[in-house]
Amino acid sequence: MKNLMPIPLVTIYAALVALSLGIAATMPPLIAQQSDPKSAPLTPAQRGERVFADNCARCHRPPMTIPPQATGTVIMHMRVRARLSRQQEQDLLHYLAP
Amino acid sequence: MRTRTLLCCGMLLASLHTRAQGSGADSSHAGYAPVISGSLGYVYNVQGGVPSLEPQINPVLLLPLGSHVLFETRTDFTGFFERRHGTSGDYTGEVFKTVDFAQLDWLANSHVIPIAGLYILPFGLYPERLEPLWIANLQDLPIDYSIGTRTTGSGIGPQLRGVAVETNHFNIQYTAYYSVHSNVTELQAARTAGGDTSIYFPGLRAEFGTSYQRFLDNHQINSAAGYLTWQPSHTPLDLKAEYDRSHNGQGYWIEGNSMLSSIPVANSFFRRMQIVGRDELFFPLNGGGNGVPTVETKRGEAGINYYIGDDWRLISSYGREFKSGNNFNIWNLGFTYRFLWPLAREKK
Ligand code: HEC
Repeated sequence: MKNLMPIPLVTIYAALVALSLGIAATMPPLIAQQSDPKSAPLTPAQRGERVFADNCARCHRPPMTIPPQATGTVIMHMRVRARLSRQQEQDLLHYLAP
Repeated sequence: MRTRTLLCCGMLLASLHTRAQGSGADSSHAGYAPVISGSLGYVYNVQGGVPSLEPQINPVLLLPLGSHVLFETRTDFTGFFERRHGTSGDYTGEVFKTVDFAQLDWLANSHVIPIAGLYILPFGLYPERLEPLWIANLQDLPIDYSIGTRTTGSGIGPQLRGVAVETNHFNIQYTAYYSVHSNVTELQAARTAGGDTSIYFPGLRAEFGTSYQRFLDNHQINSAAGYLTWQPSHTPLDLKAEYDRSHNGQGYWIEGNSMLSSIPVANSFFRRMQIVGRDELFFPLNGGGNGVPTVETKRGEAGINYYIGDDWRLISSYGREFKSGNNFNIWNLGFTYRFLWPLAREKK
């Protein structure tokens, strides 16, 4: 039986990357650019709030509260699950456990 | 026995546990206490007129070692009780115990998180993300769930995951793994290799991803999936869809849910209510089998869930499955509860 998998997979992925780059090129900047002198850069806690809003409902209803003594552990766990960056983890911690 | 060994490893790790307050999070006050989380629930299921009772509990243990290393494990206990004569007689059955994962994660940097141990096979949306009892909006697994998750849903060996590209507009994430064959009781896995990659647009709240797996035990089989998730801003809508294909068949599912938070009357009641629907279609290839149907199968399901606070949820759903000469109804009724208990007192 002819194996059809690898070629469509590469094609699908190339299409997704092309689509994403296309969308990215047409989108306004998400985070206030440092180059604009009038817009102050966001604080780590504000960036964390944005990371929370953008990411924490992707897979499940975000919890209303996380016990403070467990915030670091849970966010570490979610960084692995959601494949978040170190910077996103730091920002989230500044937002959730300032 | 295996579980005891795992627990001992866990205790050893706990004893090595160093409090990393402050160190991992620059100047934040995040606590790194060990945690027990997870969910329990009870589902009354009727399939084609045959009832079954399914109590479940799946505790997750999280043991951090500082702020860069995490040991995580989840054990699933699911009871399955049916009436002795199908639709009459007393309920009999047993409780099945499965270790879903027991892995050590090293959060080295943004680009690479090396993982070792028993992990959930990262294929498509369901196994890693949507399967836990408290997360799943409909309790029945998709028809094509076993594509990419054979034979046990878990792999044993190394895994790498992380962020490949991060910009203000999009992130590209990846996972790559190799699993050895294991016959060890409760830690069984097939020899497989594969990966998953997705691109997420935070501005659109949309993610597109693909997964690939090569099954290396006995017959070598390729499986692939393409998926998308979308939570449009300013609406309580959540859409997810996936297409899966392997030597044994191909199928798709599309699921949508919405909290009824914008209903103007009795809003405090309706904003806790969620409606959910899923449509699925599966076509067997080469005779199907290996966990997927051998005949063309369609299924439609709709449900209403009601959140009592953050943790408790009442669940209900009705579905109908269509396959040649055998159409039947599926009912689910029950509750789920999510818990999160830090194993340390809060610092004053
Ligand atoms: C890629 C999917 C995904 C994303 C995105 C995600 N989570 Fe999770 N989350 C999960 C899964 C799956 C579990 C259940 C873990 C288990 O049972 O193995 C979970 C569990 C949790 C728990 C229970 C405690 C624990 O760690 O198990 C909390 C709290 C939580 N998530 C918070 C968050 C927050 C806050 C965010 C945003 C940073 C987030 N999640 C983003 C998938 C995700």
